[in-house]
Parts: sequence; structure tokens; C-alpha cells
Amino acid sequence: MPIHAVYVNRADDPEAATLLARLRHQGHAGLVGLTIERVYRLEGDIDPEALLPLLVNPVFESGSRDSRLDPAAGPIVEIGYQKAVTDPETPSILEGARALGVTGLQWARLGLRYQFQGITAEEARRIAVATLFNPVVQEIVPPERVWDSLRPTGTPEPVRRISLAGLSDAELARASEENSWYAPLCQMQALRDYEQQRGRPFSDAEIEIVVQSWSDHCYHTTWKSLGLFQKLMAATRQIDHPAVVSVFKDNAGGMRLTDDWVVTIKGETHNFPSAIATFGGVATKHGGVIRDTLGFGKGGFPIGGSTIMGTMDPRLADDDVPPGALHPGHIVRESIRATAYYCNPMGIPMMYPVYRAHPGYPKCLALGHSLGLIPSAYAQKERPRPGDAVLLFGGRTGRDGLHGATASSAQMTGETAEKEAAAVQIGHPIIERKFMEAIPHLRDAGCIRAVTDLGAGGISCAAGEMGEHTGVRLDLDTVPLKDQSLTAWEVLLSESQERMLAAIPPEKLAEAREILRRHDVECTVIGTFTETGRYEATWRGEPVVDLEMSFLWQCCPIEPATVRPPAPVERTGTDPAPVDDLPSVLAAGKAVLAHYHCCDQSPAGFQFDSTVQGRTVVGPYGGKTGRMPTHAYVSAPLRGERIGVASTVAYNPFYGDLDPAGLARLMMVEAISRAVAVGADPAVLTLCDNFYTPKATPEWNWALTRMVETIADLSVRLGTPFISGKDSSSGTFRASDGRSIDVPLTFVVATMARVPDVLRVVTKDLKRAGNRLVLLGRLDPERLGGSVYADCRGERGSRLHDFGQEWAAGLKASWVRLHTLSRQDVNPVQAAAAIGEGGLFARLFEMAYGGGLGARLELGALGPGRLDGLLFAEAVGAFLLEVDAGADPEALFAGLEYRVLGEVTAEPGLELRLGGETAGISLAELEEAWSRPFGEVLG
Amino acid sequence: MANLQSEIRNPKCIGVLYAPGINCHQETAFAVEYAGGRSAIVALHDLLEGNAHLSDYAGLIIPGGFSYGDHLAAGRVLAVHLIARLSEELRAFVAAGRPVLGICNGDQVLMETGLLPNGTVAERAGALTQNRSARFESRWVRLRVQPTGSFWTRGLEGSLLRVPVAHGEGRLVRSPNAVVTPAFLYVDDDGAATEAYPNNPAGSPGGIAGVVDPSGLVLGLMPHPERALLPAHGSEDGLALFRNLVRYCAEI
Repeated sequence: MPIHAVYVNRADDPEAATLLARLRHQGHAGLVGLTIERVYRLEGDIDPEALLPLLVNPVFESGSRDSRLDPAAGPIVEIGYQKAVTDPETPSILEGARALGVTGLQWARLGLRYQFQGITAEEARRIAVATLFNPVVQEIVPPERVWDSLRPTGTPEPVRRISLAGLSDAELARASEENSWYAPLCQMQALRDYEQQRGRPFSDAEIEIVVQSWSDHCYHTTWKSLGLFQKLMAATRQIDHPAVVSVFKDNAGGMRLTDDWVVTIKGETHNFPSAIATFGGVATKHGGVIRDTLGFGKGGFPIGGSTIMGTMDPRLADDDVPPGALHPGHIVRESIRATAYYCNPMGIPMMYPVYRAHPGYPKCLALGHSLGLIPSAYAQKERPRPGDAVLLFGGRTGRDGLHGATASSAQMTGETAEKEAAAVQIGHPIIERKFMEAIPHLRDAGCIRAVTDLGAGGISCAAGEMGEHTGVRLDLDTVPLKDQSLTAWEVLLSESQERMLAAIPPEKLAEAREILRRHDVECTVIGTFTETGRYEATWRGEPVVDLEMSFLWQCCPIEPATVRPPAPVERTGTDPAPVDDLPSVLAAGKAVLAHYHCCDQSPAGFQFDSTVQGRTVVGPYGGKTGRMPTHAYVSAPLRGERIGVASTVAYNPFYGDLDPAGLARLMMVEAISRAVAVGADPAVLTLCDNFYTPKATPEWNWALTRMVETIADLSVRLGTPFISGKDSSSGTFRASDGRSIDVPLTFVVATMARVPDVLRVVTKDLKRAGNRLVLLGRLDPERLGGSVYADCRGERGSRLHDFGQEWAAGLKASWVRLHTLSRQDVNPVQAAAAIGEGGLFARLFEMAYGGGLGARLELGALGPGRLDGLLFAEAVGAFLLEVDAGADPEALFAGLEYRVLGEVTAEPGLELRLGGETAGISLAELEEAWSRPFGEVLG
Repeated sequence: MANLQSEIRNPKCIGVLYAPGINCHQETAFAVEYAGGRSAIVALHDLLEGNAHLSDYAGLIIPGGFSYGDHLAAGRVLAVHLIARLSEELRAFVAAGRPVLGICNGDQVLMETGLLPNGTVAERAGALTQNRSARFESRWVRLRVQPTGSFWTRGLEGSLLRVPVAHGEGRLVRSPNAVVTPAFLYVDDDGAATEAYPNNPAGSPGGIAGVVDPSGLVLGLMPHPERALLPAHGSEDGLALFRNLVRYCAEI
């Protein structure tokens, strides 16, 4: 078939302009110009002119049969998809061509041709390799390439038979490493023994299925061996909360919002892929956690999302980045680009974008949440029945993401970054958006017996889990491929994104296919659920997998974990010397607001759609300028109704350096306080946990156990259950220079809570001059441990602002009081904020800035103690409130610890008074300091 | 959840188009109902297969989203479907005096069909191209309503609306023969039309955020009036636009 080319140029191209600016900023000073030309390669008996309405809008583009780039003007690098891979845009081009009546078009490919002016071909190539493409699926197209056909081609490897019989422990360990199975020795031994028992060698596919299913990522071996899952589940069972409908077992946790509707929450980390190939890793982090909502019950609908990134300081000098790790600035910028790339097309509002830094994060934290909505009637899955069809729908299966589950469970080294680049998946949100639309229709038509997403371990894990109680038989030749060179085990293991697996009753199959066809979602029956209790698969007509489900799911050996407390000296720091004069604390306040954790992060957040779906009541930012961080998200999920759902998150990478139990407790308290401040009902509030801890050692096991015991106990005391969670115990990075770097103990808590009336939410921005400012809760100025202020002073501090389980459990009284006030016709509390990072001072600034007003504070009212401590101690559990001038604080807060601190002023500035002394600072000056850092990060 | 079967064929019913990648159809259909009208989500699939017809509807809204992934260019592929396979129906629809509203991606689609700005199906005179910032911008903006002489802006001329935007391609470019009638302008803190970031998040020339075609029947705007509808949204300024649409359709 003839192959044509159409070259498209845009006269005015902001993408080229910003890329040019970014590359120059990164040090390519010689680069003076950059042009991006698109080339469409078209195979078939066609007249390319007929496709011009599709390829070119003459208002801003020009199309030609030859390149418009003059080779003399500078080196040209063309990026395209590899020969075996289908372009994401190909289906759109083929479909558009058909619409235009061009029926002869057989295939199409899109290439991006970058022309660099002022630099050498070698430098251009380096730029391309570093920033312009993903080597897993894309390539630099050699200029001399002659295309014989554009269609993807490739030949699969044959199935290998592998015998482990008679191998010594050392040989087993070597086999595990050479094949990238990352299986611990005890699992290799179990496999060897299983082979002996059944009397025949394994296929490569069989071993791959077993090691994927037994990986820490899928099986949570670390947690299970420590008994931690059991502890949290037992606590939640003991609470037996009437609103909770689904706990831990399904893809997300569910809570009853009304009689008819359930809301769900799930948080998922994607740390390893994001650390080695950030764009793909973060994009698929979102894709994956969204599919957890779609795969909840018989199919949920996502109504909120988040992105939480923990990296090293993104402003780090190049030389200070551990060798083998990506630069944290690159990780942050690429993560923002990826979140916008994936979440905006999904049409799911951003609830809270959070960026934090800690020197322990060369292997970054990349966490995303998904909030969902589902009719109560569909909140429980059924078990597949023998005879049900195994329906695969969504995207095609490719080479991306092989070994994701096992690789992410392993320790990351400078080398894994290169060796396992194939472990990073590629995300295409348009495919997922199409089945997000279709799933409620499938569900409501009664087509779905059970549905789950394909994530870690691909078809292998999803089919194995769904068929655990019945058995499953797969015909791998039916799986639609986007890469023709995949062999059997790769088809099973591929973690290609945007795929779902459903059990469909046979009598509903035709209807299900029709619904999916009408939504442009490709679907294929790839097998049947059986009653054999076996996991069977054939490929090219021959059996390649035949395993007993009982072996897969009941025989995973779990090594007993050792738990040992660390030597106590490891966990103390020193406090910064006190600063006790007013001008100095104001200067310190500026530094606190300019800290990465407290600064204005809206330059990132404004790139994510937070109002789509028309459900957003409180978005991530608000106030007069629209930039005040709200620290909460409130949705009105049922359009036109006043009932709402609030979600908040608490994440602090510093506290864990001092005390695991304190970190766990404070994160729970902070997340709940934030939800209560905005108007959530503390009695109908559920929690989602995400742990990220270093590679298991007896000491880390001790810390992890302390954390889980703390939250399990506190959840029972508060009656606030954890209903969903995820753990990753692989947070250790080994740099190419041999250094081993552990992530800080990381524990992120998200809430999901009922808001009885969204018209009564309490926002943070100050409302009226003359109103009183009240501190509700305990403030101890001596406890600066883990604070942003201490970090500004180069210290971690010694003691967290934490007073133990009794104190934390007692906070419920203030939560109930605040909530009761918010239910009154006129709430005397006109603005509320939960104190946390940056202390009282940061909240005071945000509230004043949000309202365009000011505040006058009598520091004497805060009590004795160091001045900097009063303003910057992170009194988690305490609230800063704006109380109506006409209300009597004693009548409102009798029986609780509270203090009237000052009042709201009309002048936009903060005024501090102590004794006879006064000092002030304008909001404009503070805003300037607060606004700068993130702009610098974005470059 | 809306019903893709498009069973409602009431002549006063306003059709809200769904095509792969569109993601604002539910709230847009709700906005029509909230404004007192009737709405039905109509799938492009059904229009192309002949299971539904544009003539079944009193008005048509192309809502926001990323139709067909915005592959090739924002709104391009959906526009190709419309002009290649539904152009006669579209022409007849407007010729019969029925209104068409494009919001965000819908605005981009209307530009790519040629319905905006010149009202000429399959002859393009404008496009909405990448924001000057080269970023997706999700913000609240303020718009000044311009006198257009059309029903869309009736009673709103000169007023200020506070509504969200959320797009990566909202910068209007036009050919020399384009007939541009602005309906909404991005304004600064003093209420004056602006090209400056971030009050004009796209860097759109002249502050143009929305235009009507010469007939006054076709309106396209980048901001999202359906997201500023309810008291809970913090602004109800978008409601007036849907009220004008519903009122007009009732009078057809």
C-alpha cells in the first residue's frame, strides 16, 4: 500500500515557546529557537487532500506534502511510536477518515518533528532522550527509515518451560533475579516443591502468575506477616458503624450517604514508577485509582480525585541529588503535567493537590485518591458463577507495565531505574473516560455480576482473583493486542492501562456488548468462569497455564517478621533557640509562609479542573482572590439536593522522624479536624489510610506496628472507622554510589464524611471586621517538633505537639460542639480553620488573605511561653475560629479549652500586640513571600 | 444517570450532545432542567445511526469535555463527524431558527465546524488554540456581557458574571474574513476587558471569551455557566444564560 505524508505546521505555537523557555532554563543556553512540526503518515489508496479537514485548520495551521523545516536551520529530531505499537491517535484518525468518506485509509501514524536552532545534533538528541519521549513505547525515528508498512508488526517469543526441580537455594535466588521475578527465597522454594508434587515443569506464564500474585504489592506479605491488616479490620469490625457498607475487601471502602446512595473512597500509591518515569507513573496513578472506583461493587462513578506528591526539595542543586535518582524538580513538574494530562480529560474534579518535601524521598511518594458514588443497590459484588463470561473491555494490551507489581515491591536502585523502565505504564485517559461513561449503563441494565480493574499483575491477577472460588479458563489468543510481539506470559502480565474485567451472566452478554459498542468501548470475551478450581489458559492452541487456585491463593509462604524497637537516641532532635521579639517573629512568619509546605501551591492546583461535574461546593482554593487554600473539598453529589460529602487529607513527612505513634495519631486528628471545620458530621465520618515505609527491617516493623496499633485503638475510641487503605513497604532507594536512603515514615489519612447541608459549610476566609478570633483547643508553645518553623531554622525539634491517645480521643467533644453550632440557623462561627503546618500564624494569614481583611492578636491571651512557639507550634487538633461579634464565646464553648485571641480588622494586615508593644505586617508583604516559591519550582 | 436512548422527543426538549470524551453533559442537562426547561442527552452515535435526529430537539448544546481525546486538535474529530455526516441536518436546524450552544470543548467544536464565528458549516474562519500559558487553566473568572442583539444576552448586556473556566485551548484566532461578534469578555478587577493573565486565562485577543454567529442563534463560550448555577456553587450567574435559552425555545 502506498504511504503518504502530510506535514502540519502551526504559525503560533505556545507549546514550542514554553518548551524552548524550559530548556533554556534547564541550561541549554545555546538553544535560540524551537519549532514543532507534526507529520501524519498515511497508508492506503487515498488522496491525502481529502483528509485535510481532519488534519489541518487553515486558520492557524498549514499542511503540505513535504516538510517545511529547512534542514540547514538546525538539527531535527522526530519522535514516533515504535513499529510494534499503535499510536493513541490512530483510531481517531481512522475514524475521522471514515467519517469523511475516505475508506481506503489502512493505517496512520503521527510523528512530532522538533527542530532545534543554535545547538548541535548531539545536544538535540540528548534533549530528546531526556525529556521528549518514553522509550518503552516511543522512539527517535531514524531519518533514513523507509516505511514498508505502518501497521504494527512483531513476532512473539515462544513459551518457555522452566524446571526448578533440584535447584539449590542459591540457584533459586539466581533464577528469581535473572528473570526479574523479585520473589523471596521462601516463595521460590514453594514453587520448587509444587513442581515436585505435580510432577511437571512450569511454563514461564505459570511462574509469572504466581510471583505476581504473591508480590508484596498484590498480597501485602509484609503487612500480613505483622498481623497489621487483621488489627485494622478488627478495629473497624468492633466499631460496627451503621453507615459503613464495604470495608477493605472491595476495590474501595463504602459509606452510606443516603438510603439510596453510597459514597466510596480509595487511595493508591504509585511510587516506584513515578520515581523512575514520572509522567507515565503519575498519569497511571490517577488512571489506576479511578478504576478502583469504577470497579467498586457493580461499578461506581468517580466524583473526586487528589494528587499527593512527596519528593526531595525540588529546588535542590543537581549535585545534591543522589546518583541514579531523578531530580526532584523534574519529578514535581512532570507530575503536575501528568495530573493535568490524565485528570482533566476524565472530568473528575480535583479535591486536593498536595506537594511536600523531605530529604528521604529520592524514591518519591506518589499518591492519588478517588471518591466515588454508587446506588446502594449495587454496592456489593456477587461472586462469578460457572458459565459467566470473562469480559475484557477498554484498551488493548501492550508491552507497557511488565513486572510492575514485582518491581515496585522490590528495593529501588540506581540500576532498576533503567532495567525496569518497561514497568512504567502509559496512560490514555480518553479510553478510560469512555468506559467510565458506559459502566453505570452496564450496571443499571443488570449486566454486571462482578467487575474489577486491571492494575498490578494485569489479566493474570484480575482473572485469578475473580475466579478464586470457581476457576477460570482463558483463551489468550482472543486478547486484542496493540503490540503484536507479545508472548503468552506478557499478555497475562501486561499492565497496559485502561482495561477492566467483568463477570457477565451469559444471558446478559449480548446486551453488555451492545452497551459497550454504543460507547465506543472495545470488548472481548477472553474466557469463562468454570467450576474446576483451576486457573487454566491456552495460547496458540496449546495449554500454557494450569494451576490450582488453592495453590495460588492459600499456599503463599509468609516469612515471620521480626520486630525490634530502635535504640531511643535515634529519634530525637533539638529545638531551635527561642525568638522572643515581635519584629523577629514577624520575619520568621514570612519565612514560614515561604516554606515549601505552607506556600501558595495554586500555580500547580490551577492546572487541574476542580469544578467539572457541577458538584463542587468547596474546591481546593477559595477566598477573595481564589487562591486561599481551603484544606478541604465538599461535593454535593446528588444534583439539586443539599446533602453533601466532605473529603480532607492530612500528610506530614516530618512528624514521622520523631515518633511513629505521634505521626499516626496527629494525621488522624488533623484530617478529621479539617473535615469538621468545614462542616462535616464527625459522627458520619470514615477514614482511608495510606502507608509508605522503608524496606522492612525489624526496626521499621516495630515503627509500623506502633502506627497501626495507635490508629486501630484511636479509631475505636472515636468510633471513626478505617474503611479502605493501602500500604507500600518498599520505600528504600539505593543510590548508584552505594548509599541507602529510606523514605520518612509516611502515613496519609483521608476522610470521607457526610455534610448534612452544603449551604451551611463554614469556609476559612474571614467575613467581617469586628468579629472575634478564638482559639479552640490546646496550644503548647514548647512543642515545636516536626514543625515547618523548626525546619525553617534547620532543626527537626524534639517533641511533637501530641498528648497521647486520651487527649486525642477527648477531642471529639470539640468536634461535636463545632458541628452542633454549624447546624444552627445562624452559625456564630463564621470562619474556621484546623491548625497544622505553619501553626496559628499560617492559618491566620490564610484566613485574612481569603477574606481580604486583617487581624489583631493579643499574644498575651495565648498564655505564657516562647513567642515563636505560640505562633508556629503545630497545634493539631486546635481550631482558629472567627466568632460573630454579638455571640458570647463562653456560651458557645463552655467546658472546652478556648481563648479569645483578638479580632478581625478592616485593614488587610496582621497586627501583633504583646504588653504595650505592637508590630504589624501587611498582607501584601506576606503574600509576596508566600507566592514566590512554587513559581520558582515550576520554572 | 442520563439515558442514552434519547427517548424524549418533545419538540421543546433541548438536546445535550454526548460523544466519546465529552464529560460535562450530565451537569449541562441538569442546568437546562434547573432553568425550567426539558433536556435529554443525545448520543452522537444515535444521530449517526439514524436512531435520533437533530430535528427532534428545540435546541442543541454541545457541552464541555475532551471529545475524542481532543486528538489532532481541540474539538477537531467531533467537528469532522458533524460536518461530514450531519452538515445538512445542522444547516436545517439553524435555518429553522433553533439555537446551538457550545460550552468549552463545544465552543472549540463549533469553531472547527465553521458554525462559529461566521455561521458557515464546513468553512472555518476561526479556532480556539492553545492558551498563551501553554497550561490548562482552572479558575474563576469575571465576564462582561456584550450587547449582541441576540436572545442569548437579552437583559444581561453590560452585567458582570462570575463563572469558572477550565481549558487548555481558549485563545481565539481568526482568519481575515472572520465575522466576530463578542458576547462575553474577560475583565480585570476594574471591569475592563483584558488580555492579561490570569484574568484572561487563555490570553485571548480583545478579552474574547465567547462569540455569537451572525444569525444570533449560535453561541460559543469557553467558561462554564453550568458550574455557576446553584447557591452551593458560590455563584448563580450562569443560570441567566440557560433561562434565556429555555425561554427562547419555549417561544419557537
